Amino acid sequence: MSSVSDVSASNSSDGGRFKRPFPANVVRLDSGLTVIHQEIATTPVVVVDVWIKAGARYEPETWTGMAHFLEHMVFKGTEQILPGMFDAAIESRGGLTNAATSHDYAHFYMTVAADDLAHALPYLADLLLHAAIPADEFVRERHVVIEEIHQSWDDPDWIGFQTLSEMVYGDHPYSRSVLGAPEILQERSPEEMRQFHRTHYQPDNMQVVITGGVSLDRVLELVQTTFRTFPHRESCPTMGSIAHPRLLTNPQHTLALPRLEHGRLVMAWLGPGIDDLKTACGLDILATVLAEGRMSRLVRELREDRQWVDEIASSFSVQQDCSLFVLSSWLAPDHIKEVGQVICDRIASLATIPITTPELERAQRVLCNDYAFSMETPGQLAGLYGYYGTLATPELSLAYPGYIESYTIEQLMPLAKQYLSPDHCGTLALTPA
Amino acid sequence: MTVSTAPKQNSITTHLGNGLKVIAIENPVADIVSARVFLPVGQIHENPHNVGIFSLLTSLLTRGTAHRSSLDIAEAVEYVGASLGADSASDYSLVSVKTVSADFENIFTLATEILREPSFPENEIELERKLTIQGLRSMQEQPFSVAYKYFREGMYGHHPYGFSSMGTEETVMAMQRDELLEAHRQHFRPDNMVVIIVGRIDPERAIDLVERLLGDWAAPEYPAPAPRLPAVDSHAYRIVTPQETNQAFVILGYLAVSVTHADFAALKLLSTHLGNGLSSRLFVELREKQGLAYDVSAFYPTRLGPSQFVSYIGTAPENTSVALDGLQSELRRLCEVPLTAHELQVAKNKMLGQYALGKQTNGQIAQLLGWYEILGLGTEFDHIFQANVAAVTIEAAQEAAQRCFVDSYISILGPATAVEALR
Repeated sequence: MSSVSDVSASNSSDGGRFKRPFPANVVRLDSGLTVIHQEIATTPVVVVDVWIKAGARYEPETWTGMAHFLEHMVFKGTEQILPGMFDAAIESRGGLTNAATSHDYAHFYMTVAADDLAHALPYLADLLLHAAIPADEFVRERHVVIEEIHQSWDDPDWIGFQTLSEMVYGDHPYSRSVLGAPEILQERSPEEMRQFHRTHYQPDNMQVVITGGVSLDRVLELVQTTFRTFPHRESCPTMGSIAHPRLLTNPQHTLALPRLEHGRLVMAWLGPGIDDLKTACGLDILATVLAEGRMSRLVRELREDRQWVDEIASSFSVQQDCSLFVLSSWLAPDHIKEVGQVICDRIASLATIPITTPELERAQRVLCNDYAFSMETPGQLAGLYGYYGTLATPELSLAYPGYIESYTIEQLMPLAKQYLSPDHCGTLALTPA
Repeated sequence: MTVSTAPKQNSITTHLGNGLKVIAIENPVADIVSARVFLPVGQIHENPHNVGIFSLLTSLLTRGTAHRSSLDIAEAVEYVGASLGADSASDYSLVSVKTVSADFENIFTLATEILREPSFPENEIELERKLTIQGLRSMQEQPFSVAYKYFREGMYGHHPYGFSSMGTEETVMAMQRDELLEAHRQHFRPDNMVVIIVGRIDPERAIDLVERLLGDWAAPEYPAPAPRLPAVDSHAYRIVTPQETNQAFVILGYLAVSVTHADFAALKLLSTHLGNGLSSRLFVELREKQGLAYDVSAFYPTRLGPSQFVSYIGTAPENTSVALDGLQSELRRLCEVPLTAHELQVAKNKMLGQYALGKQTNGQIAQLLGWYEILGLGTEFDHIFQANVAAVTIEAAQEAAQRCFVDSYISILGPATAVEALR
């Protein structure tokens, strides 16, 4: 059980052929629950991945950490299932189960032998729909979550990412840690968590994705009998309406941390959310041109030639309300200033000088193949459908390679100009204390 | 789960005239081909004066050949969106390739070039040397890595398993180009190499390709140098490292037998029982029932030489002592109280089920089978291991625990106020 910040748009489908028919079945049940299914006849396993719009973005500020803590508590059982029974039921037959929470979603998944699906699914459905959240388990598990938080505090990269999130996201809930804060968790009650559960674990917020060695008829039959009685709907406190985050300044910050062996320089820009996936794909291309692979501009210049950084990497991830474009460098602290300047110059030139055709083609091949390589197993496929299904539509999961391949060098310049401005960039340096 | 996730196999295994072993397995499901080239050389061939040499050597394979520069190689790989990498581990080194099937021949050809004709350019050596040293330093940032480093040193002393695979700052600083060339000349040779190719490719075509690219590579006339390893003596050991962290780490472990020993399957089962998954013994007892930790687990690596059976926990500093007691009592319990028939069966199902799930992708299949080959166990070990696990009895599991859990090695790291009393 863990928190994840995002799923990269590039972590995902097919080697770049346009407009393939969507290979999965998407069925909306009368309850409002969405079932996504793809049969893969060659595998004897089945993956169930249930995605719920119940991530940290839905928490009011005073409930920070509730969504992730609830994800832990779901495993603590129901009136029918004692704590630990579900884990034992799945694992004792050789299956795997776990869960993760992000800002936009929580998801719970298991991999089982196809013949065990009918045995395993009722457990998972009961846990998700009827989580009991026993008071004694709530207190005990809170210690575990607080240990998870303490562990993250010993990780300089986690601290860096969290600090940067606070700098770039302003009042938006993306600025808050999914894990929450110990002092806030101490004030929360099991009843508040039940309220959160009954509010958000509702059929219209949920996608049940099932991939692997099982037919559609069998899936629908099993889901209809197990995901049947949802909790009585409530409405707990929420964030209220949230404006999409916009970064209109260029905040800069330096943080001194103990036991640091490298300095870090992390620079971040915001892009559009999942509702403009095409533009997001263009930014993904630019991130790859800049700092993915030894041929990319910044790796070549800063690590291979000048040797000012030990490592530099880009990451680009799409969320519901915005995307995040990050360039991270690991370097000696005395190079932080000049490396920051080089990065700003190289970013600025993307808006005025077109990238070359070979650069574009390299980025397109790298991204489309990464996408194809990340659909090899039923579990990867289920994750992809669930992610897009929760944030947008399952069908959008196949749009990625088409969008990537559609770009021309001329179309990328305006994107760089609009989204990668040095005046709208968060910059964080970490130095040894 | 006792199902097999391996593809329906259309496969060929053969030896070339120069001794090279080739395995080709067709798996047409995805448009992907993965290949691994394994060599039986790794940390076990190192000594305290040159630890890290095979890590540095393999990192340099993609940084220049007789015909291409580092950038030429990167260009060839990145422009087709493939991956080509080289790495070294405790008991082996490998070059790995992953491509869409249309690009396989082209990139595999390049892989054989970096294997046969690396040029080790001086400037690239300096760059990799710097990056390796920085990599070693950055491990010092993670409390678990620091605690584990001291644990490993206490257990293995001057045996190469006692060092990071990257070596030490001193050895990496001292390494010279001619040592790299010599190590390559002695150990990178067809007669001890295994090539395994898995994916959407006709096995005959795969074999022909390997024959064409590597069939003319003549092995040196002398045999590859065998490892010369110091004995590792079992002795109780404890080290306490004060460090002002938010969390304390406790590592408790034992020297353990190699993959070829009769107790191997039983110890793998015990480590599954203790540390694998949400229903494992340590997870249930220390996390679920006592809320002591987020991270608590156990591992027992598959090694050709003396392995280790390790349990660990990250906990609040004030709970360090309770956490150590918890690990000790769970390991002692395995010696004193036999597993129930149910516990044993659950551990077997879990172990075999997850083992099957670890063979889903072409890369995973190539990695596992090639590894077994290079350890000298043969691909048949895939079946033998599963049969051995299924055959472990309650008595065998308890006796393996009693034989293994004798001299404990303990490493504790955390704030001085919490850990000093545990010295």
